[in-house]
Amino acid sequence: MFSFTKEQKVFDLSGIPIGGQPGMYPTVLFGGLFFKGEPDFDDAKRHLRTIYELCKQTGVPVIPDFFIRKVEYIQPILSFIEKAIPKKHPFSIDIIEPSIKIQTLEQLASRKLLPRTIYNSIHIGITKEENEALRAYTPEAAIIVAFNPKDTTPDGKIEVLENGAHLLEAGLLEITRHIGIEKILIDTAALTPGENSGAAIAAIPVIKEEYGLPTGCAIHNVVEKSRWLNDFPFAKKTVDVASNNAIPLFGGDYAIFGPIENAELVVPLIAWQDILVSEYTENYFGISPVASHPRRNLLK
Amino acid sequence: MTDDYYPWGGEFTACAPQGCVAVVLLNIQYNPPKSVAIYGSLKTENIGIEKIIANTISNPSIRFLVICGDDIRGHRSGSSLIALHKNGIDHNHRIINAPGAIPYIENLKEEAIKRFQAQLNVIDLIGEKEKEKIDEAIADCTSKSPQSFGEPYIAIRLKPQATVNLTDNRALHSRIIVDYLGKVKKRGA
Repeated sequence: MFSFTKEQKVFDLSGIPIGGQPGMYPTVLFGGLFFKGEPDFDDAKRHLRTIYELCKQTGVPVIPDFFIRKVEYIQPILSFIEKAIPKKHPFSIDIIEPSIKIQTLEQLASRKLLPRTIYNSIHIGITKEENEALRAYTPEAAIIVAFNPKDTTPDGKIEVLENGAHLLEAGLLEITRHIGIEKILIDTAALTPGENSGAAIAAIPVIKEEYGLPTGCAIHNVVEKSRWLNDFPFAKKTVDVASNNAIPLFGGDYAIFGPIENAELVVPLIAWQDILVSEYTENYFGISPVASHPRRNLLK
Repeated sequence: MTDDYYPWGGEFTACAPQGCVAVVLLNIQYNPPKSVAIYGSLKTENIGIEKIIANTISNPSIRFLVICGDDIRGHRSGSSLIALHKNGIDHNHRIINAPGAIPYIENLKEEAIKRFQAQLNVIDLIGEKEKEKIDEAIADCTSKSPQSFGEPYIAIRLKPQATVNLTDNRALHSRIIVDYLGKVKKRGA
């Protein structure tokens, strides 16, 4: 369990604090709504109810992360967000295709949803058109993925943030700040097993000490890509859920998990881990947990 | 034996070592005939493509690369692979005119890419999911019985130089110092 010398920034994501010294704020979870095939909004509504209830019980905030895979899904998903997510609550949008990203940004702006939007994500594949769209329709916060295809170590991840690793004309941090986004969350880019997957966890304290920015990753992706685990179906689910623990343990601020169906397992697990971290960091570093922290919520 | 022919590993099935066809599967459940040299799925437009290059040029018998199935949404990995074969990479190691999100080839020398372009003929079946049509294309390649390309090319994975010094009193990473209580400090600060 760590405490950092570098001052740690804390951002407000529509009422949810993220960042700071380990043990102060609850770990923030992003739960992925992937919508395989046609979006099932009744199912999504049930999951939203579950995550908000879990959050109330434990103090661990869960932000729904909407994966938009097709242009024709932009409108229904954004309409669902408007209707189903309580006003002022944040959400994130996870899109791969640059053209869908741009169209979604335009629609988020016209629906006045940008102040609640966490953009997932900016990475070295950012196009000129995406950059321009982000400047025109600037979301409240963005996740920056520190993926460096040449160097998967923490140094390589810092290089891509700092100077673009010669793949871009500037570093991802400068590009994002130039767009006008100040609330930056660093994603340490969890890669497939065999591609230095552990570096995503080791990079968390390194990057937090370097920049003082909220840092995390989607470590569950490594489990999904560990095909050998298919021979152990009972253990696979446990490993998938438990993988998220490594993030707060290494000083991280947020975990992107998925699918959101796992929330009932992941949220109590993170609450447990947050309590563990908080007890130590308060004892040794004098970091008191905030009122909403699981330690205050669950240990009476 | 697989390691001898395909030293970079990955999610693939090795079949006939002397086969002249490698099959790249995009979002498709399809088992090619056992006469092909190797087949496997492609997911990412960077590391995935690198593995395909390394694991085809290492077997000079492979002269055809059949790419079939529906391209990966967003990543456009199949189209990026075709763009690489056609155009190569630019000075930033980006695949020229690749439609994928992050189409960078960072772990292979340009020489390996040139070898890939020279050794392999690409059969573009992106969008094709019918077993009979893919089987037919593979049979057509096989019937040509092309000559081996010569010597195997074993691509070296370019890795940043390791800087580990075992006498160094570090924990986790060279940029930070973690004291016995868990306090993290930037080294040299």
